[in-house]
Amino acid sequence: MGYIGNFPTALPLTSSDLPDDIVTSAKIADGTITATDTDGSIGKPAFKNLIINGDMSIAQRGTSTSSVSGNGYFASDRFKNIIGSLGTWTVSQSTDVPTGQGFATSLKMDCTTADASPSASDNNMVAQIIEGQNAQLLKKGTSNAESVTLSFWVKSNKTGTYICELYDVDNTRQISQAYTISSSNTWEKKTLSYVGDTTGTLDNDNGASLQLNFFLATGSDRSSGTLSTTWTSVTNANRAVGQVNLADSTSNEWYVTGVQLEVGEFDSTTIPSFPFESYASNLQKCKRYFQYSVMGYYGDTSGGGYGGAATFAVEHRATPSYLSAYSSIIEANNRFNTTVIANANNLSQYGLLAQKAQSASNDSGYYFAKMATDAEL
Amino acid sequence: MIQTVEKYYFDGTWTNTYIITYTNNETVQAPHDTANRHYQEILEWVAAGNTITDPGA
Repeated sequence: MGYIGNFPTALPLTSSDLPDDIVTSAKIADGTITATDTDGSIGKPAFKNLIINGDMSIAQRGTSTSSVSGNGYFASDRFKNIIGSLGTWTVSQSTDVPTGQGFATSLKMDCTTADASPSASDNNMVAQIIEGQNAQLLKKGTSNAESVTLSFWVKSNKTGTYICELYDVDNTRQISQAYTISSSNTWEKKTLSYVGDTTGTLDNDNGASLQLNFFLATGSDRSSGTLSTTWTSVTNANRAVGQVNLADSTSNEWYVTGVQLEVGEFDSTTIPSFPFESYASNLQKCKRYFQYSVMGYYGDTSGGGYGGAATFAVEHRATPSYLSAYSSIIEANNRFNTTVIANANNLSQYGLLAQKAQSASNDSGYYFAKMATDAEL
Repeated sequence: MIQTVEKYYFDGTWTNTYIITYTNNETVQAPHDTANRHYQEILEWVAAGNTITDPGA
């Protein structure tokens, strides 16, 4: 084709040059688009990280709890401390994070009472427990069982071998992998792969099915055998072989953040970047397991009881417990009792009803309270 | 560790909940629901030979 004047300049084709639907799959040769042309999301499940609150940004119960020596949820939401007679700890949400990785918070375990010689059955883990209905994508117990890869950032003054375990609660099976903290007080990124398990399907329900355990210390009952690095029926002695004792000094601390459990087998170079999400989105997920709701009451009363109902912002996983210790008065008229309602009349996964006696009578007033409920696994 | 468990009544009717008092004096109100972790703790506590207090209506 001939041109009068300047030859047209070649410009890159943009999406605005292409009418909708003009590029069909038939026009793209097989194999043209590879994983390196994408962000790694093609062919993968829509929700990539099986772990909730992996960046430790949500801490609804509070940012620090001291004197922790038993099981429970304390700082970062969804992460459970499982401690059986192995040290006393302050559990906190820390701002000590790996530099330049986008994280603002980590979970910190700080030993405040040491136990240098654990008894055989003693144990100490940080865990996250996953509902069975959220783990069906692993196809566990089938011939198509998926491998998974665990990635996280960790830091401790206590160097040496640590164990991360996946525990199948439904079928009492487990698999462990060891990692090494090489440099004292230095953030290190760890990537551990776990093969798929063709035995033992996970229940498709709201119960506990898969548990990720970060061992921090353990007695000989869980460490005297040979580390089980393939899925097998649980033999306690093979679960945490080689685990250092983080509880052996009150100088010891352990931090973790960026916890990511992804379907597929990756190494430290191929693992997709941490799937950050907004604070609000992360909080919504956590509220299925713990949340605050507001209950208000205003009335003109001549005495007797008062109370109200609260609708949960997010449906709880199951019927929750009511935690008066975490509940508080936002505001109350002094004619109304200004202490927290101790007990609920009715609890369901959708809301609660609570009522109590009035401390004064014959006038109007109001009561506005923040009620804490827990449906953790 | 659980110290006591008591059925909770309101206006003479059992509310299908229990008041757990732990040894550190913290209390939790747990529903009668096997999917609830605190109720699971109650079941383990009872299996260990302990008894739920029932103050009655």
